[in-house]
Amino acid sequence: MEKDLSHSSRRTLLKILGAGAGAFAAKRLFPLRAYAQQTPGPPKRLPSFTGPGANPYWNSVGQIASFPQKAPLILLTDRPVQLETPRHYFLNAITPNDAFFVRWHLETIPNEVDLSTWRLRVEGNVNKPLGLSFPDLLRKFKPVTAAAVDQCSGNSRSRFEPRVVGGQWGNGAMGCAQWTGVHFREILDMAGVKSGSVQVQLQGLERGKGPKGMPSYEFKKSLDLKDSVLDEAIIAYSMNGEPLPMLNGFPARLVVPGYFATYWVKSLEAIRVLDKPDDNFWMNPAYRVPDTPRGETTPADVAAKKVKMIPITRMPVRSFIVSPDGDTKIPAGLPLTIRGIAFSGYGRVTKVEFSDAARGAWRVAQLGEDLGPYAFRTWQIQWTPEKPRKYQLAVRATDEKGNVQPDEGVWNPGGYLWNKIERQEVTVGVAQ
Amino acid sequence: MKWLSANRRKVWTLAIALAFVAVGAIYADLQIGYYAPTNLGASSQPAPVVNQSNDAYKIAAFPLYKTTLVPGPGRQDVESYCNTCHTPSYVTMQPPLPAATWKAEVDKMGKTYGAQIPTESQASILNYLDSHYTPETRKH
Repeated sequence: MEKDLSHSSRRTLLKILGAGAGAFAAKRLFPLRAYAQQTPGPPKRLPSFTGPGANPYWNSVGQIASFPQKAPLILLTDRPVQLETPRHYFLNAITPNDAFFVRWHLETIPNEVDLSTWRLRVEGNVNKPLGLSFPDLLRKFKPVTAAAVDQCSGNSRSRFEPRVVGGQWGNGAMGCAQWTGVHFREILDMAGVKSGSVQVQLQGLERGKGPKGMPSYEFKKSLDLKDSVLDEAIIAYSMNGEPLPMLNGFPARLVVPGYFATYWVKSLEAIRVLDKPDDNFWMNPAYRVPDTPRGETTPADVAAKKVKMIPITRMPVRSFIVSPDGDTKIPAGLPLTIRGIAFSGYGRVTKVEFSDAARGAWRVAQLGEDLGPYAFRTWQIQWTPEKPRKYQLAVRATDEKGNVQPDEGVWNPGGYLWNKIERQEVTVGVAQ
Repeated sequence: MKWLSANRRKVWTLAIALAFVAVGAIYADLQIGYYAPTNLGASSQPAPVVNQSNDAYKIAAFPLYKTTLVPGPGRQDVESYCNTCHTPSYVTMQPPLPAATWKAEVDKMGKTYGAQIPTESQASILNYLDSHYTPETRKH
C-alpha cells in the first residue's frame, strides 16, 4: 500500500516536473512572444491635476520643463514662471542653484540686466537717497554669508482640504542656499532713516500687464523697521558662491532668514523707507494668515468675516522623509538608512524623530551638520523592516523654541503655514 | 532501483525543489528585457549660451508652452482675456473648483487685479470653466 501510494505520487511529481521543465525551456530557449503581449502600454504617468481631495503626491503633478539656467524642474505655470524642485534634491542641506524653486507673481520679469545702468535705489524717508551699483555692493560693505531656507508661503498648498485656489505646490517650493551679500541694516544706515519712519518697502524689476496702481502691475512688500528680523536680513548678490540665476533674482535679492519667501524680493531695484504702514494689495489682503495659534480657521468663519488676518511672517517647523520615497520595493531584513531634512523659521531644529507605524513609538534620529539656525538640517536613522508588508514611516521635528510638528493639517484661505507631520508609505517584500 | 530506494528521502527533496523552481518559472513570469514604447518630451536640451564680456547679463527666452485648455465654447474668451496677465496653466493647475469659487476668481481678476473683461465675456468664461473645471465636469 505504502509502496503503491509513493509510486503513484512519484509519477504525478514527474509529470509536474516534466511540464514545468518544458515550460521553463520554452520560455528560456524560445522567448519570442508577440510584442504586443509584452507591452500593455506606456509607463504610467501622474495625472494632469489632483483634487477635489488633497494631492497625494510628494511634489506637485506638473510636467517636467527646462528653463534657462535651470535643471529640469516641475512646471506649475510658464508665464509668470513658477517651478517646483523635485524631491530628491532635498537629500542635501544645500539646494543647487539650478534646482532651486522659482515663483514670480507677474509676467514681465528680466531676461537681461544691464549692470551699467542697474542701481539699487534707497529712497523715501531717508536723509541721503542712494543709488548703489553692483560694484558698490561688492566693495563698500563687508560681505556676510548665511545659510537660510527660502520657502514659498504656499508650499504644500495642494495638501489643503478643502482645496484652496492658488499655486498648487507640493512640498518642493523650498530650498536652502548659502547667501552672500550685505547686511540690510548697513544699507539703511548709509542712507540714514529719518525719524517717524515705520516700514521699509522692497520692490524688484518684476512688472505685470495690469493697469498702473493695480496689484497686477507691480509687486511690493514691506517689513516693519523695528522688526528684529531685519537685523539678520541680507541683500544677497551671491547664492552658493555663484551669481543668482536670473529666475532667482539676479543681480541681488533680499534674504530674510526665518521668514517666508514673500518678503525675499528678487531682482531688487528699490528700498523705500515709509512713514506710514504699507497697505498695498501684496501686504493687505494678500499674504495674510488668521491671527490664531497655528493660523488655523474654517471656511465658515471666513465666509462670516469673523477672522482677523495678520501678515504672514515666520515659517513653522517642518521635516521631510526624502529617502526612501516609496518607489522602490524593499526586501525584508535589509538595513536601510532613512534620510531627510528639517528646518524651522523659529530657530535651530533640536530634535528629529522617526516612527514606522501610524501611532507607534518615536525614535530619535541623528542630525547632520548644523549650517545655521535657519538652514536645512539633514537627519538620518537606521531602520530594518522585518516583515513583508506596507509600513507608514513618519517624521517630526522640534525646534529650539520647543515647537513640535502637529499631526493635524491646517486650513486658512491663502493655503499657508502647512506643517503637518509627513508620512511615507513603503512596501517591504518577501526575501527568502 | 536499489539506489533509488536507499536514497528515497534525498531524491524526494531534490524533486520537490526542482518542482518549485519549474512551477515558479511558469507562474512568476519574471520580466526581463521589458521595454514599453514612450514618446519623448517636446523639449530637446538647451544649447550652451554664448556670453559677451560686456555689462549685459542675459539669458535665453523663457519657454512658453502650448495651451492645454480643453476645447469648448468660451475657450477663446479665456485665451484672449485671462491670457493677458498669465497663461491658461493658471486654470489647469487648479484642482476642480466649485462654480461659486470660479465666480469669485473671475470677479477677483476684474475688481482686484484690474482685468478689463466685458460682462458678456465674463459670462462666457464662467460658463466655460463650469462646463470643464468643476468637480462634476473636470475630465482632463
